[in-house]
Amino acid sequence: MSENKGLIFDLRRFSTHDGTGIRTTVFMKGCPLACVWCQNPEGISPIQRPVQFPNKCIRCDHCLHKSKYGGVSLVNDRIKLDPTVAEKWDEIVYDCPTNALVMDSRWMSVEEVMSEIRKDIPFYTYGGGMTISGGEPLNQSDFVLELLMACKKEGIATAIETSMQTSTENLMKVLPFLDLIYADVKIIDPIQHLKSVGATNQLILKNLDILLHSEFRAKVIIRTPMIPGYTDSIANIAAIATLISSCYPSVRYELLNFNPLAKSKYLLLDKDYCFPDDPGLFSTEDMAKFAAVARANGVMNVIIDS
Amino acid sequence: MTENLQVSSRISKLKEKVLTQPRYASIEQALIITESYKDNEDKSRILQRALALKSALCRIKINADPTELVVGNRTAGVRYGVVFPESGSTWVDREFETLPTRPQDKFLVNAQDINTFREVIKPYWAGKSMEDIIQMDYGTEITEIEKVVKINQKDHAQGHICPNSTEWLTKGPSGLAEEAKIHLQATQDTEQIDFYQSVIEVMEGAQIFMLRYYDLLMSFIHKEADNKKKEEIRKVAKICKALSSRPASTFHEAVQSVWFLFVILHMESNASSFSPGRMDQFLYPYYQHDIENKSMNDAQALEIIESLWLKFNEIVYMRNAKSAKYFAGFPIGFNIALGGINDQGDAENELTFLFLKAQEHLGLPQPNLSVRLHKNTSERLLKESIRVVAKGSGMPQFFNDEAVIPALIELGISPHDATDYAIVGCVELTTQGNNLGWSDAAMFNMNKALEVTLTGGIDLLTGERIASDYGDLTRYETFAQLETAFSRQLDEYMDKMILACEHVEKAHMELVPTPFLSAVIDDCMSKGMDVTRGGAHYNLSGIQMIQVANLADSLAAIKQLVYDEKRITKEELLAALKHNFEGYEVIRSLLMNKVPKYGNDVDWVDQLGVKWANYFKHRLSTFTNYRGGRYHTGMYTVSAHVPMGENVGASADGRFAGSPLADGGMSPAYGRDIAGPTAVLKSVSKLDKNLTTNGGLLNMKFLPKFFASEKGVDTFGRFLRAFVDLEIPHIQFNVVNKEDLIAAQADPDSYRSLTIRVAGYTAYFTELADELQSEIIARTSYGDV
Repeated sequence: MSENKGLIFDLRRFSTHDGTGIRTTVFMKGCPLACVWCQNPEGISPIQRPVQFPNKCIRCDHCLHKSKYGGVSLVNDRIKLDPTVAEKWDEIVYDCPTNALVMDSRWMSVEEVMSEIRKDIPFYTYGGGMTISGGEPLNQSDFVLELLMACKKEGIATAIETSMQTSTENLMKVLPFLDLIYADVKIIDPIQHLKSVGATNQLILKNLDILLHSEFRAKVIIRTPMIPGYTDSIANIAAIATLISSCYPSVRYELLNFNPLAKSKYLLLDKDYCFPDDPGLFSTEDMAKFAAVARANGVMNVIIDS
Repeated sequence: MTENLQVSSRISKLKEKVLTQPRYASIEQALIITESYKDNEDKSRILQRALALKSALCRIKINADPTELVVGNRTAGVRYGVVFPESGSTWVDREFETLPTRPQDKFLVNAQDINTFREVIKPYWAGKSMEDIIQMDYGTEITEIEKVVKINQKDHAQGHICPNSTEWLTKGPSGLAEEAKIHLQATQDTEQIDFYQSVIEVMEGAQIFMLRYYDLLMSFIHKEADNKKKEEIRKVAKICKALSSRPASTFHEAVQSVWFLFVILHMESNASSFSPGRMDQFLYPYYQHDIENKSMNDAQALEIIESLWLKFNEIVYMRNAKSAKYFAGFPIGFNIALGGINDQGDAENELTFLFLKAQEHLGLPQPNLSVRLHKNTSERLLKESIRVVAKGSGMPQFFNDEAVIPALIELGISPHDATDYAIVGCVELTTQGNNLGWSDAAMFNMNKALEVTLTGGIDLLTGERIASDYGDLTRYETFAQLETAFSRQLDEYMDKMILACEHVEKAHMELVPTPFLSAVIDDCMSKGMDVTRGGAHYNLSGIQMIQVANLADSLAAIKQLVYDEKRITKEELLAALKHNFEGYEVIRSLLMNKVPKYGNDVDWVDQLGVKWANYFKHRLSTFTNYRGGRYHTGMYTVSAHVPMGENVGASADGRFAGSPLADGGMSPAYGRDIAGPTAVLKSVSKLDKNLTTNGGLLNMKFLPKFFASEKGVDTFGRFLRAFVDLEIPHIQFNVVNKEDLIAAQADPDSYRSLTIRVAGYTAYFTELADELQSEIIARTSYGDV
């Protein structure tokens, strides 16, 4: 694919969760990890592919006629998609009048993304900016670097959400162009990490150490999502808190409440979700309890996002 | 500081009373008026009107609750619909029996009133009321254009006026009568003589009206055992008496005085929307005086304010069934503008916050509270306003000084008067105390005009010819040709609209002069000229452009799919529209999904709306109204997007025949704004602020969850700061859960006090017709942000 294009699966204006103020978040496709609870499972695969919204289908069968190699077929009188088949998917998708078939992501140039980001400059005036998320954004680190530099050149504040599962070099090269760095530390136990996240945490912990000893550490917020049965044990929170505060006593540490809304996305992707039954949000009291564990283990700046 | 002030038990009890009293149609004033006219048939119309009002002020049954701190109403009961024969009674005759059962704005009816009406009132007014005369004079022409242009103000006197309350407070009825007497001695002109004489008559009536409340309250004292309560009643009684002969001097007196002013304005005109305007400004000297000399504290001030707030909910305006659909749920329009700038800078004061507190406490539909934002609005006012919005009554709505003031100046308003602007009714802009703005002259349905452009003048809903044939879609070789034909349709309807407006204004001038109102509108007194004749300092007429969102979406779809990409043929599109998309699902899907829509910050689409709004505005500004003033444009619909949508066949934006148009006026069509609230603001900001000098309306719906945290309030504050910078004239928010609305629809009794932003005003949700309720539920909302 084109060198200066990035694969983006969503570009969301009026994001208000991550970072200060009103922001535009760019979701980069592709992630080296595969957390079982992932909120954006559509962002894991680094490949652009068509995706189907069956309830929008009016059976005009344009796609069926357009398909040449069996990527679209009729099974039990319903349109069945095989995205792995090489088709001219762009044309098939263009012909779908209801957008029941769409591409799950777009290749965009830095300039194309910037023209979207610029649209909300009037709102960034009051403390907002751009956030790069994913997927793992540093999977496309060259593109991300270029995008960050473009923002800085135009005075637009920047933030990133990274899993740190990337080469140290990748991480270091983007840091000077960031105003805020959200870095995830999910599970401290390497075996548990491998089982739930799809990789050991060796690289993550190495990058964590470097990050929290770097000149950029004041811009960092370490995050742990509270996932029932996976990350919410006292031992896990305590160990993470101990580790990060030993690196940098003033470290900011945010505990994120579980997001139960991801289930519908898994259905769409025909994937199994780790929680067949909604375990529900943690209560304010639960979250306060987790925060207390973090404080007891050396973190002074605990943030709760419930 | 206002943070810890609570609602008093007095106010709670009175509020419950306002909410539970049955609402009747009343013919009492109609009988008094009719009798007065019979006694004065030889007099000029303005004197007839003055004497009829005076007679009502002297005779109408009055009532009060002994616990009220502010008294007065135009009927003995609360929220009565007043039959008003001078302006229109034919519709009452036609619809009297259906008032209790009609879908929107029901009223109970006493059976014998129907008989009395038909025996006494109707025979006298048949052929004489303004409604009948307009119908005879120009009814055919008005009906001919009604699918595109709805001409308003045909059966009631003109409202949407902000009187000069300061003038009234500092002179009172006695001072104004004195002034008229001085003018009277200096003139020989018969029209001026009648005008001044009329002012004197109505001011004497006002004095008598006030004294009658004194007498009524004093009669309560004998029945009251409690000495403290006796004193309270005596205090209010004395205020009424004092105001009959001198100007207000305390805050309590000033509030009572303002209320008398508005009651009498309603009795004179029975019109919608007399608005107090910048009440935190003109009442502030009284508040400051009483606070400084410690004769009143904030808790007492708030109780007086909340008493007035309840009174604002006691007057409703009874419209005919059709009009009730366009203006559903009693938008009586006691609009109060808070904050904003004055000639010195930021004008907010402690009253600003007490008024907000009253709204937070009561959450009722009236007054219609509007906060004027500007670049230097304090964080305190911004955040307090957002917290009140979050309570869910839909108030306050927000106006933008940075957009409104320069636009008004460009319209020809002096910088001082523009800076001092207020809002009347829902969102209509006005100067204060010197303007007959005639802001609801007509609503112009640009989407119906596009329909006849596509069909060659044929109404898609009936198949009948209703407009000229300047071509149809199949005959336009290029999109530019289509646009030329569209401009010709617009021109032709505008010309016809102007003629109709002139006939309506002429009828008002001849039939319903308003001397009481004229006495509190600048320049009328010095000119000796009624407002309906052009006595006011400013004489504007406002036309609403309906609805730019659907228009932009339709034009964009035709341009892209038919002309640019040629994915749909002209014949196919026309056939699909004629068949209301039945059998044309693929075409409708393409129209809906493959073309960007207004409200998503897609420039070429937004600019199509901007272009035609500008076209309309520029051409309109070449006309002069009957009073010699300018026409200008607004972009708001009240609830008219529902009935106006019923008039429009299937449209190229994928909308089905008869379904609602976009709500608001500047808002995107619902469900079409998929790029979030910032994109909506950006799209709307492309509309030139001069397009909305008569008022613009942007409606957005957020879920309560958004405001649950301080972070949400903070984010919302930033959003509103950007709104100010983007120079958008208006924004309002509905903050109610969809689930609550669905529950209220199913079980109205349990949700009696649930208020909802309809469009520029707030109404009780359960009092809206079913289809309007459903329409509100369907609007886009932002929550998970």
